[in-house]
Amino acid sequence: MEMLNTFLQQNASVPDGLIGLLRYVVPALSLLLLLRCVIPLLTFRREPEIWAWLNFADGNQVPITHWENVIGRSKNCDVTINFPTVSRNHAVLTRYDDGSWTITDAGSKDGVYVNGKQVQICALNSRSRLSIGGVEMHLQPISEKQEQKMAQLRTKAASGWDGVANLMLLSVLQILMALGFLLGGAGEQILMIAEGFGGILLCQWVLFLFYMIIKRKSFEVETIAFFLCTIGMAAIATVKPQEAMKQLIAMVLGVLVFLFIGWSLRDLERAKKVRYLAVLAGVGFLLITLVFGTEYYGAKNWLVIGGMSLQPSELSKVCFVFAGASTMDRIMNKRNLIMFIAYSVVICGCLALMNDFGTALIFFCAFLIIAYLRSGSMGTVALAITALAFAGVLALRIAPHALQRFATWRHVWEDPHNAGYQQTQALMCIASGGLLGLGPGRGMLHHVFAADSDIAFATISEEWGLITAVLTVLAIAALACFTIRTARVARSSFYIIGGCTAAGILVIQTTLNCLGTLDILPFTGVPFPLLSNGGTSMIGAWGLLAFVKAADTRQNASFAVRLNGRESE
Amino acid sequence: MNRVTKRTWLMGLFIAILVGGMGFFLWEYVGNAAQWVAFTGSPHIYNKTNLGCGTVTDRDGTILLDISAERSYALDPLTRKSTLHWLGDRKGYIKAGAVTHYAGNMVGFDLINGVYSAQEQGGRARLTLSAEIQNTALEALGNRKGTVGVYNYKTGEILCAISSPTFDPDNVPDIEGDTTGAYTGVYLNRFLQSTYPPGSIFKVVTTAAALDCVPGITEKTFYCSGEKTYGEEKVTCETAHGKVNLSTALTRSCNCAFAEIAELVGKKNMENYVRQMQVTQPLSFDGVTTAAGNYDISQTAPVSFAWSCIGQHTDMINPARFMTFMGAIAGEGVGAVPHIMAQVESGETVTYTAKTEKTDRILPKDVAKTLKQYMRSNVANGYGDWNFPGMNVCAKSGTSQLGGDLTSNAMFAGFVDNEEYPLAFIVVVENGGYGASACVPVLSKVLASCKSVLDRG
Repeated sequence: MEMLNTFLQQNASVPDGLIGLLRYVVPALSLLLLLRCVIPLLTFRREPEIWAWLNFADGNQVPITHWENVIGRSKNCDVTINFPTVSRNHAVLTRYDDGSWTITDAGSKDGVYVNGKQVQICALNSRSRLSIGGVEMHLQPISEKQEQKMAQLRTKAASGWDGVANLMLLSVLQILMALGFLLGGAGEQILMIAEGFGGILLCQWVLFLFYMIIKRKSFEVETIAFFLCTIGMAAIATVKPQEAMKQLIAMVLGVLVFLFIGWSLRDLERAKKVRYLAVLAGVGFLLITLVFGTEYYGAKNWLVIGGMSLQPSELSKVCFVFAGASTMDRIMNKRNLIMFIAYSVVICGCLALMNDFGTALIFFCAFLIIAYLRSGSMGTVALAITALAFAGVLALRIAPHALQRFATWRHVWEDPHNAGYQQTQALMCIASGGLLGLGPGRGMLHHVFAADSDIAFATISEEWGLITAVLTVLAIAALACFTIRTARVARSSFYIIGGCTAAGILVIQTTLNCLGTLDILPFTGVPFPLLSNGGTSMIGAWGLLAFVKAADTRQNASFAVRLNGRESE
Repeated sequence: MNRVTKRTWLMGLFIAILVGGMGFFLWEYVGNAAQWVAFTGSPHIYNKTNLGCGTVTDRDGTILLDISAERSYALDPLTRKSTLHWLGDRKGYIKAGAVTHYAGNMVGFDLINGVYSAQEQGGRARLTLSAEIQNTALEALGNRKGTVGVYNYKTGEILCAISSPTFDPDNVPDIEGDTTGAYTGVYLNRFLQSTYPPGSIFKVVTTAAALDCVPGITEKTFYCSGEKTYGEEKVTCETAHGKVNLSTALTRSCNCAFAEIAELVGKKNMENYVRQMQVTQPLSFDGVTTAAGNYDISQTAPVSFAWSCIGQHTDMINPARFMTFMGAIAGEGVGAVPHIMAQVESGETVTYTAKTEKTDRILPKDVAKTLKQYMRSNVANGYGDWNFPGMNVCAKSGTSQLGGDLTSNAMFAGFVDNEEYPLAFIVVVENGGYGASACVPVLSKVLASCKSVLDRG
């Protein structure tokens, strides 16, 4: 180590030359890595699956392509029966993980009859005679053999070698970044920095090996997440290198949470049970914070336990997604929506008491997404937005520091030493860094408060260049695009709602974080998912990622989707 | 399922906000990054509140300020005092707007590399000012407050622009504790930021208006009995000038004649000409903007209107702007916009070179030519050519009354009508008394200094 330092001192131009090179290599590698990860996520073939046939008395056969199907007169139904006695949304046909099927009455006028008896919910077999609004039919599920055949025919997600290549790229990036800090003169802190980057490197390969063992091949979503963690580590390395290990531990915990939620989502019945727990935990986390929490920077959203500062509201987000996700048969039931709205009101009430404006906004947007996905009614959404506007005005009257942020918005240059300090410094440093950055450890923004969290985007931009910083934002946007794209072939609305809401939260947090830093939106001090320094936020972000992953139905892609039968390679 | 799938478009909206917002930011970045970098307090360019990115020299290469690390000023104490208002002080009370404006060029900022290339090597900014002329002007002003501005009306280079009072930044006096008033307004760059009642130098504006819009004005004569009454109020001259025409009225600065000329021009015309000649408009160059002047006759009695055409009433002018106006007369209706930054280098690369920018045409050519003759006559027959040997000076003095017991401000504005020395100038000596007697000795020294600097090349 000492020898290396003396060598560097004697040959001052050598590190300069290498850092000069890094300025080009890091954005190029990041771009290549993201392209390799994002392209398969956005271009995979969406193959509809056929799970059963609905045979009508007149000989017509209709394929059933989802695990949850609405039958009714409306054109928007999955199976449309244009017959006057059929209600618009008449019944929901649901398939379970074990291959069994049920029919549920969705509040129809004339009811659902199985073998001549009116039922509310009833298990079906291939001999069941089904009558909906006087239309006779029977369900013919595909056989286990057909199911296996279908699984074999489906396009496999990326081959394992693509994953290996991507991880190799990411590993090179991590090593180069750590090397950059060494050359940039990080001094004694280089050990902590090396541990930080090395830890991520190790963790990603261990997870990949685990995937190989359980025969899952797709690693794009995870690679993007590890990429963001790596970039976040670069910000921590320059701002608070002593916290690198803490953040690494949070990331490992996050990966474990990711695996746990993924596992619980694999089986819808299990997911529904975990959901109850999550609903309770979501409120529980907030209540505990309210009672035992500590107020920092005007918001009482911190819980200090044994010297560790936790932000339980970050975990509540994950619980909220769980609470909001729902299967089709429950969506068709109005009572469930009302229950969910009531739950949201409780959550929002807690946040209002905690005076945490940013988090409340995120929950609200998540609520909007869930409410719209479930009800499809713009009316509900408009009502909710009006409610927010009123609540917002009230909140602004009550919380002067929130009002100040709005007053500063788009006027930061008028008060660069006080209210606009963080943002003007951020913008100056972004501009100083240019597109390619000044090199690791050469920034000045680390003197500014929250340079590794609230304004981490600017810290990255200053030292590693605007290109790299923008790529992190695009990475999040790509994950969200993926959830939209994969929704078409989702098996259950539970996964669509879960995946979309989780991705939505990631996008909203990124929006508030980055655009707040850049004075495009008011500054709210929300963490950049996976990138900002903050343990709870890191764990929460991985938890959300599990929902995104669970929406992936590509064969062999997601551990959240069960492999078919005893299928082998 | 279908309908839930279709509703996922909502997510697209959120993604669009994120990506659109980033796109908007990138657009702002391309447009504004250079300003962000150079903004006061920008950590890569400033040491705390002070710029810290290279050296600033005068036109001859004399180092005025070295801001690479610690802020060090010129070696000569007089130069430190005379150039302070363009360089800024250590505490940031005096803003060095023009130098700050080029900070981005000094550090070699560009959109792709940011300030990367500038980290090792500093920049160099060369001003058009001459330390030698600055010092001459400051010495000539002595302890009096005021400003002297001289610029080349062909190229726009400002050779001299001092503001007094000033102080030595390496030997800061007790400004806060001063009770003598010696340091009143010391942080102001009077050349840029002050406005003064113009007094009789404003008669040049009225003369130009009359020449353009009153038919046969040059043949008309006026009789001055020493005062012209408007009911109970009056316009007065110190002595009765007797019979005068436009030219002699200007030379002898006859208020009574100008009161009559004002009537011939009329309020509406006068307002239009003041606007057309831009004498009250703020002037912007090199990232600085001067104070705006004032000419308001919207609700005035005839006597006030008469005084407004003599440069009293509520008239206010800014020295830099009025000097530019003089330059435009010298250039027969079109002058050059002044500038203070000659060239900026970052390392070995030239990142900025000043270009001459012409003013709008503010006067018809023939009006400007006649005006030039009149102002030439002022010097030849009034102020005395012996004060400006080897020059061909055209000028007008002014003694602007301040009311109360205050001694009048002395004003003097004009230009040198000479191909070798195309210089326009303004001299303001606050509470200096009579315009010509206070200002001509100052200008005499300053123009001599300009001549020797220009002769040297």
